[in-house]
Amino acid sequence: MSRPVRIEGLAVGYGGSRRRPAAPVLERTDLDLPAGSFTALLGPSGCGKSTVLGAVAGFVRPTAGRITVAGVPVTGPGPDRGLVFQQYALFPWRTARGNVEFALKRLGLRRAERRTRALAALAEVGLAEGAEKYPAQLSGGMQQRVALARALAAEPDVLLLDEPFGALDALTRSRMQELLRGLWQRTGLTVLFVTHDIDEALALAERVVVLGGSPGRVLADHAVPPGPPDPGLRELVAAHLAAG
Amino acid sequence: MHATPTPPGPAALGRLGPALAAAGAALGLWYALARSGAVAPGLLPTPGQTVAALADGARDGTLAGDLAASLARAGQGFALGALLGSALGFATGHLPWLSAAVTPLVSFLRPIPAIALVPLATAWFGIGETAKRLLIAYAVLLAVWLYVHDGVSRVPVTHLRAARSLGAPLHRRFAEVLLPAAAPALLAALRYGASVALLALVAAELGGAEAGLAYRLQVDGQFLRVDRMFAGLLVLGVLGVAVDLLLAAAGRRFAHWGPS
Ligand SMILES: Nc1ncnc2c1ncn2[C@@H]1O[C@H](COP(=O)(O)OP(=O)(O)OP(=O)(O)O)[C@@H](O)[C@H]1O
Ligand SMILES: [Mg+2]
Repeated sequence: MSRPVRIEGLAVGYGGSRRRPAAPVLERTDLDLPAGSFTALLGPSGCGKSTVLGAVAGFVRPTAGRITVAGVPVTGPGPDRGLVFQQYALFPWRTARGNVEFALKRLGLRRAERRTRALAALAEVGLAEGAEKYPAQLSGGMQQRVALARALAAEPDVLLLDEPFGALDALTRSRMQELLRGLWQRTGLTVLFVTHDIDEALALAERVVVLGGSPGRVLADHAVPPGPPDPGLRELVAAHLAAG
Repeated sequence: MHATPTPPGPAALGRLGPALAAAGAALGLWYALARSGAVAPGLLPTPGQTVAALADGARDGTLAGDLAASLARAGQGFALGALLGSALGFATGHLPWLSAAVTPLVSFLRPIPAIALVPLATAWFGIGETAKRLLIAYAVLLAVWLYVHDGVSRVPVTHLRAARSLGAPLHRRFAEVLLPAAAPALLAALRYGASVALLALVAAELGGAEAGLAYRLQVDGQFLRVDRMFAGLLVLGVLGVAVDLLLAAAGRRFAHWGPS
């Protein structure tokens, strides 16, 4: 199932107290993610991309505005919104299969059923071989495959990714991008993908939203037409990015 | 990270070799020094005399009695202190507001050596077992608390966030994330706590007891039985090493993903 996400007038300030509110990191940010859409959130380092993602995930409390998933306000983290981090999010004391089974426990399955499903989820991300390996025995790309399998195993409606391929080499990165595109097309999830790489954003998403400024806000919103890369669009997005 | 067990044989001997050689050299030096007459007679027993004193103690039952008394004290004190210290360490390591409230107090108490508390413990609880057990528990509690707190506060926030976004309720986040993530630190804390328990045990027994390894050292000291004192020190050393090896083996079993 996929559901729409609506961000309305989102503002966030870290730290601070009631007497002396913190300087805002984000101000009046609006964003609509239709059900089943794939949106890239692009912006320079420190502009608040992770903050937007964290707010949708339910870890970052807005100082103003609200976020709804299919009309239901977000009040905290939940399994309806799956998360993939840049790195170090797998549990190092569990094997690849164990990590995926962690996500499946919520569904109250029998042990054997859980195992079968975890192996299927790993096969889906091309990691049938490494199921019994620990994260430390897997390459960075393989670890992110496990992270994807784990996030999808919890059967979310929305998939949130924070620079998930940022630590990978170019070749592994483009393979992972292909994998993610395929998973999205098959599942029809609503995807919000944070990156600071223009080419990654344009290669993956149907829509690129440029975040920037201080405090951060939406600077530009481009639809990415299907087909081969469009150099004109890339220049336009780069110009917006530079302006931020 | 995933150390394969070293097969017994040349490799293991190769690692053990230098240690055995050094121990042998130390033993030889000790023997030579005791026999040379450089030390006043009666103040330095030979290794043979030390072993004989140990055998004496084993034969007349004092060794077993002292060992039992000391192990019971140290074991009970350690168990209590480690339990409370771990629980508090998990609480303050995981809850920043609790840590902010409690850390200054702990920082003040920690530098006070356990020996300095012996008179107070005796005044409050008498010279019985309660005072000794509580003293050991207190020293272990502070040590274990510090290590566990540190380990728990270093558990990556992404682990806990991943668990929450995967819908794991509180009890699963504790048992399946916080506990295994902090297991290497917990085992390091227990090893350190065990060494502290031994220190506190000696301090407690020197404050007055009717049996015990350190109590026996004091009695033997009054009679200038240096051979028996050497035997007692030997037992304390072996005890410390044995406990540490045991806990280290448990660590390899239960926390194989740790940094060490
Ligand atoms: N927990 C926090 N406490 C205080 N300030 C924070 C916190 N997290 C982020 N910030 C600040 O908020 C601003 C936005 O941070 P955020 O992590 O959202 O940026 P980002 O766009 O994801 O950057 P990057 O590309 O480097 O990941 C930064 O100035 C950062 O210093
Ligand atoms: Mg970020």
